[in-house]
Amino acid sequence: MSGKDANDPTFSEVPGLPELPGLPEFEVLIEEFRQSGLRELHARCGDLEVYLSQDGDASGLDAPRVSVAAPTARAAPAIPAPAAAPAPAAPSSAPAVPEGSVLVTAPYLGTFYRAPKPGAPAYVEIGGSVSAESEVCLVEVMKLFTAVRAGAAGKVVQVLASDGDLVLAGQPLFVIQPE
Amino acid sequence: MALSRLFIANRGEIALRVLRAAQGLNLETVIGVSDADRTSMAARLADRALVIGPGPAAKSYLDARLVVQAAKASGCDALHPGYGFLSERAELARLCAEHGITFVGPEPDMIDALGDKLRAREMAAAAGVPLVPGSGEIASAADARRIADGIGYPVLLKAAAGGGGRGMVIVNGPAEVEAGFHRASAEAQAAFNDGTLFMERFVPEARHVEVQLVGDGQGEVVHFGERDCSVQRRYQKVVEEAPCVAMPDALRRQLHGAAVDLAKSVNYRNAGTCEFLYDVLREEIYFIEVNARIQVEHPVSEMVTGRDLVQEQLRVAAGQGLSVRQEDVVLTGHAIECRINAEDPARDFVPVPGTVSRWRPPEGEGIRLDSHMSEGAVIPPFYDSMIGKLIVHAETRDAAIERMIGALDAFEVEGVPTTIPLHREILRDERFRSNRIHTRWLEQDLFADQRMAAE
Repeated sequence: MSGKDANDPTFSEVPGLPELPGLPEFEVLIEEFRQSGLRELHARCGDLEVYLSQDGDASGLDAPRVSVAAPTARAAPAIPAPAAAPAPAAPSSAPAVPEGSVLVTAPYLGTFYRAPKPGAPAYVEIGGSVSAESEVCLVEVMKLFTAVRAGAAGKVVQVLASDGDLVLAGQPLFVIQPE
Repeated sequence: MALSRLFIANRGEIALRVLRAAQGLNLETVIGVSDADRTSMAARLADRALVIGPGPAAKSYLDARLVVQAAKASGCDALHPGYGFLSERAELARLCAEHGITFVGPEPDMIDALGDKLRAREMAAAAGVPLVPGSGEIASAADARRIADGIGYPVLLKAAAGGGGRGMVIVNGPAEVEAGFHRASAEAQAAFNDGTLFMERFVPEARHVEVQLVGDGQGEVVHFGERDCSVQRRYQKVVEEAPCVAMPDALRRQLHGAAVDLAKSVNYRNAGTCEFLYDVLREEIYFIEVNARIQVEHPVSEMVTGRDLVQEQLRVAAGQGLSVRQEDVVLTGHAIECRINAEDPARDFVPVPGTVSRWRPPEGEGIRLDSHMSEGAVIPPFYDSMIGKLIVHAETRDAAIERMIGALDAFEVEGVPTTIPLHREILRDERFRSNRIHTRWLEQDLFADQRMAAE
């Protein structure tokens, strides 16, 4: 092979030191946002984009690089065990969910996957029925995959994150309407 | 041919380790990092750093085409894959060859052959290396009884199509064979739609020992002694030591000989590790597999031999041969390594990404730290949770344990939980200190004791 391929990618050089926020700083950002009294915050830094809203009906960005659907609970349950105490997701800041419905939240910061492996069908779709024990997604952090269970029997009425999104601990992922 | 510019296709502490070895040989260094590792220590210390893709490894560190294109675009004539990621993918070695880049590793076909467990076992058997006594397909319960009597109890019945422990039954004596056969076969049938079974000797008390070697691809293979990696959690090594003092000298010589014979029989090139199961009760060793790359725990071998294994790796890749002969490798003292992971022991070791707000590693004689951390360093959520390796060297195992305890006690990390407290407990445990451990000791005994103490 000689010369440059038309489809050769170009690589950006790491210059001195760029000033991108470290990922965990999002949690700080979210906390500050919650305390600020602002209704909405849309920030872009390099190719990183964040949208925060206190409005449960907000639709968010179309394809956010890091989606944060709503302010999340600071203290998340370690593992979403059905028997555990309800996640301390502050009701005031959770997305608007129908009366009596149940939120499925991320056990920890990680990557959200809707299917057990790439190319496989999603665990659940909107309108699908689940039992409390049904696995609804995977969250992966540093090679540790955790299957998240629905925690309640019912119908999936909302999916709040997209496949491959980075989600924060306690972030709502699904809304289940109990049956 | 001498190398001049090395592309480092990895991240974390091993990227830094390779960088330093290359600098020691006066090579220029270029590293390909993901967007999440722009500010990493290796990116700052390399002569050049290129962003090859976004944070998720599938789109950066695991994309062989991107990696090779970045190496080519930056004018590198060699590529070091580190461990993990693409290090044992023949595809990367092939792409390097296509683009005229020297791959610091074995030939692509050798990577394929060693990566296939059955082929690797055949190669080991052909070289006269001992394998776990086992069987082919078992036809019936009566057949199982006859084979098990021959192998010696306990034996392990395994599903031919299996994995993940399903269709696996331990048989402790002749009276259990028939029931065990039917149960394993039914489980295998249910799980894999194939009830075919085979059998292996079950080793109740096993240690994991492995031989570090480097081959030059021209017939020369030198070993750098063995390591004992028996402290494991979920098949991941937690503490590693060199040498394995629990092994009699005669068996140790047999171990080294078996590893070198195997590597010579295939004219192996690169640093590599030949892994064995050590059956403590029978005083026998059985081949497991060959890892055709530099390994996480290579520093303990470096500490007891005083050799730089990554530099040897670069030499043989360049066709310059090894810098040492077998008789030059002299083992001195004892070394221990503790893997420091950003994991929360209180939450079943869930990995915890975050920012390291305080990082005060221990310093002193016989203490080495291989780490890419510093105060303010970010641990991204996309990769392994290992943030460093603490290594000590001393005259004896007991002295090394004392040195490690002192180092662990002095080690201050804040911002993320780490496995340092677990290591403090392991190193102080009487069973570890008296070397009465095996591969299931940590999970089966130490963690069980912790649970009982908590109740």
